[in-house]
Amino acid sequence: MKRREFLKLSTATCMAMAALGTGGKQGLGGGLFSPTMADASTGQLPGSLGAKEVTSVCEMCFWRCPIVAKVKNGKLVKIEGNPKSPVNGTRVCARGNSGVQLLYDPDRVKYPLKRVGARGEGKWAKISWDEALDEIAFNMDKVRKKYGPSSLAYFDHGASAEFLREIFKALGTENYSNEPAFFQCVGPVAVSYMSTMGYIVSGTRQYIDMANAKAILLVGSHIGENVHVSHVREYVEGLAKGAKLVVVDPRFSAPANKADIYLPIRPGTDTALLLTWINYVIEHNLYDKDFVEKNCEGFERLRQSVKKYTLSWAARICDLKVDDMEQAILLLARYRPNLTIHPGRHSAWYGNGDVGRHQALAILGALFGTVGAKGGIIFQTPVVKGHAECLKCEKLPSEEPETSLRDNYPFVEPFPGSPTAAIIKATLTGEPYPIKLWGINGVNILQTIPNPYDTMKAIKKLDFIFCEEMLMGETALWSDIVLPGATYLERYDGVYVYDGITPYLTLRQPVVEPMFEAKPPFWTAKQLAKKLKLKGLSCEKEEDFINEELKEAGLSIASLNKKGGIVTYPGKPYRDKDSLKVPTESGKIQLSVSDFADEDLPPVPEFIPAPAPPEGFARLIYGRAPVHTFSRTMNNLWLHNEWPENHAWVNDEVASKIGLKDGDTVILENQNGYRSLGIKVKVTPGIRPDAIYIDHGFGSRSPFLKRAYKRGASDQFLITHYKNDPFMGASSHRTDFVRIIKDGKTLNIPELVCVPPEIPRFQIEQS
Amino acid sequence: MSQYAMVIDLNRCVGCHACALACRAEWHVPVQPGYRRNWVKRMGPEMTPEGMSYTFYPGLCNHCDHPVCVEVCPADPVDKVFKDFRTGKTKKMTVKATYKEPFTGAVLIDKERCIGCGACVEACPYHARYLDETLDEPKADKCTFCYERISRGEIPACVKTCIADARIFGDLYDSNSRVHKLVHGGAKRLQSKVVQIGPNVYWVGKPKDLNLLFKHYAPRERTWETVDNGIEDLGRRGILKAALRKGTRIKVL
Ligand code: SF4
Repeated sequence: MKRREFLKLSTATCMAMAALGTGGKQGLGGGLFSPTMADASTGQLPGSLGAKEVTSVCEMCFWRCPIVAKVKNGKLVKIEGNPKSPVNGTRVCARGNSGVQLLYDPDRVKYPLKRVGARGEGKWAKISWDEALDEIAFNMDKVRKKYGPSSLAYFDHGASAEFLREIFKALGTENYSNEPAFFQCVGPVAVSYMSTMGYIVSGTRQYIDMANAKAILLVGSHIGENVHVSHVREYVEGLAKGAKLVVVDPRFSAPANKADIYLPIRPGTDTALLLTWINYVIEHNLYDKDFVEKNCEGFERLRQSVKKYTLSWAARICDLKVDDMEQAILLLARYRPNLTIHPGRHSAWYGNGDVGRHQALAILGALFGTVGAKGGIIFQTPVVKGHAECLKCEKLPSEEPETSLRDNYPFVEPFPGSPTAAIIKATLTGEPYPIKLWGINGVNILQTIPNPYDTMKAIKKLDFIFCEEMLMGETALWSDIVLPGATYLERYDGVYVYDGITPYLTLRQPVVEPMFEAKPPFWTAKQLAKKLKLKGLSCEKEEDFINEELKEAGLSIASLNKKGGIVTYPGKPYRDKDSLKVPTESGKIQLSVSDFADEDLPPVPEFIPAPAPPEGFARLIYGRAPVHTFSRTMNNLWLHNEWPENHAWVNDEVASKIGLKDGDTVILENQNGYRSLGIKVKVTPGIRPDAIYIDHGFGSRSPFLKRAYKRGASDQFLITHYKNDPFMGASSHRTDFVRIIKDGKTLNIPELVCVPPEIPRFQIEQS
Repeated sequence: MSQYAMVIDLNRCVGCHACALACRAEWHVPVQPGYRRNWVKRMGPEMTPEGMSYTFYPGLCNHCDHPVCVEVCPADPVDKVFKDFRTGKTKKMTVKATYKEPFTGAVLIDKERCIGCGACVEACPYHARYLDETLDEPKADKCTFCYERISRGEIPACVKTCIADARIFGDLYDSNSRVHKLVHGGAKRLQSKVVQIGPNVYWVGKPKDLNLLFKHYAPRERTWETVDNGIEDLGRRGILKAALRKGTRIKVL
């Protein structure tokens, strides 16, 4: 038999076996053939077509893009952007698309677990919800009675953590609230803009208008590597309309590739460059005099104090060319005021000088008159929504502690919570008071907070630790009780309003019933409140408080859903410079912040050099893989498949000097001798010789995350030395250094750029 | 005459991989190594004569004018009548298990007739196809330009999710389409001296980025010429490959 005949026979057999008419009949009979037939077995349309749609809000990251979930036969099959959304329309990012695989991740926490081995050992017994909550309530009460309310600490992040926060607040502790988000991330930028402009131009969101900018400055911001859909869209829109782009970064990042001018700056010297630019702008009369006169205070003080920062000095400090720096600032100045001086976001870099760096960015934006201008810093447009009384929890009578963990940080007000580092220290040392119980929700504390080794030591000292988790990550591993949390696809959260350039109101709502024994955090908090005999959280179910919140906006869940799950409002982002009033006390922009001076902190930013790498080491820098969020998506089936591990970017000259090849597997060792898991090297000219870059969040140490376990290296486990910001106590993340170990041999990083005498060298503590 | 085509704007693309994931979600593409209809490959940072480049290769099937994958398909041709979903016009053609759809120019696979021999997978110089061996009866699979969706008035899943609006899709022969304008304005398709089979996916971008794209991903092998689709010889590749799997058909023989 010829192959041809075999094929004929086998094709026919195959068809007969499958009892399918379509191909065969049409082929033989010449009937109408459609390549788009519905699935023969189910009669359903192909792909996500014909699915039931539920509008909601994404939580694959904190950006909260409005989405539509597509459900077929009770199964979530696809997630798209909500077409009615003014910010993302039908679009979601890679992670947004992969929410399906968070819901169906086999490594989810499926039922309440109780630790039976040692902490961190990963031995569990399955228990009932009632037992789990009893145990948590019993321990909260016991620890509170024995050590006082402040001995309770809560590490929380995101919408799911809010309800339980009410419980901690009601029990009388101030050691709660957005610890990781604020104290490891946005603290410095938030404080600097709050003090300069009177509002948080950059916190969770950035109130800037890149879409209408004629030029954009990015200092260490990797838009496109960190993906927040509307942020990326505005940036791309601006560039497509012809905006010039200046990128300052030690690494040739995705935006560096799009830049008109790229400045590969020495890490830790950004403020030197910014202050030099400020001086240059003043000296060369490139700033908007009229704007400054009308709207700013402290100009003279600023002018005096930046005089010393010259281009030739900066060239040496920043390892940049005078000409490049000058071209860049001239380019930016040409387009004022329609200019985005990006405020940055993650800003807990060096501990000392972080506030100053972002203050300098704010000042530059003000000097160019960008505040309230098209393309510049925009104003918020408040969106009305109510506050549900029934969500409140009455605070138990509690004594204030004599010393607060917030005491050392004068500008932590008006932000809630205590610095994470102070909580961990108090837990370790018992000073100024003991902390004996931790609750955790929405954050992987070991992959987020510097020196996880200390964090683990602290955990060992606790009387009790519990968490609500979706996945069995490190946090779950180290907890005494693990509660199975509902994902964002299985629960309601509060009403969400966006007060940026295109304001809207929308709602997260369940797409499917919670899987396994997972429960929404509202339910959990309500049960705990009952068990702790707290007064409050009185609404029966989520719909009650949501409808209460919606009432003030003239809406209900039903009417909102009728409108497509989202309501938009006109934005008022711009202001005329003649009638500008920023929400500071005087209504003026503070070019020099006298409040800082009152606390013996510099009112005008100064350059505080970050110590240079010790001999044989490069600075460890990190950033985002565009398909991952923090350390929480590495186990996602699709995202893992797309980007299973990180790579260590090593400068090509350095690599050739120490005999490294692209793709080699190495270990990174930090200045304190802590070693990473194996990681592959990426050899490239796109990084400075004095820095090594890795994507954040990899190298999971939880064997329960079967895909992510030990894939790539964790930046956090190499960050063991950190400094706390004197303003608000954020912990630094770029104050560690690494060298390379290959085949058991230590490879010192050769010093290819010399360090000027003004920059001290990091001293390794010998222990 | 019409031919659907896609233009990908690397100036807008930020390399977020949403396209690749939306495609995987829409079409339930399994995660076995090499299984994908739509991909983003990252290139650089690397020096080019036009400067340092760090860019991306968002790729998919090119729905070529001369699809070599179709040429090598060993399945028996049969007559089929196709219908233009826009005009209702019909056309009768003799086609194998994979064919070029006459009204859109999309290269499609008739899953009912695919025997899973993998010849087309080997033939494609862009490696745009994979053989889905997770199925009881392995089948070739690849991008369809979301024919199933566009024929129902939807747009391709990757276009719909592209956060940067970097993917432009439409009929190349419609002189009002953006695709037409971009292609006539100089968008480039991935070809080389030796491989010119009329691909219908185009890229625009800075010279340095296109330089890197062509350096790393312009096809340079006439992959289809070495494919032995076994039509003349029973004992060869297709059969052996099929026999290696658990397929019952072979046992019947
Ligand atoms: S940016 Fe992506 S992950 Fe974050 S909320 Fe939007 S779609 Fe979800």
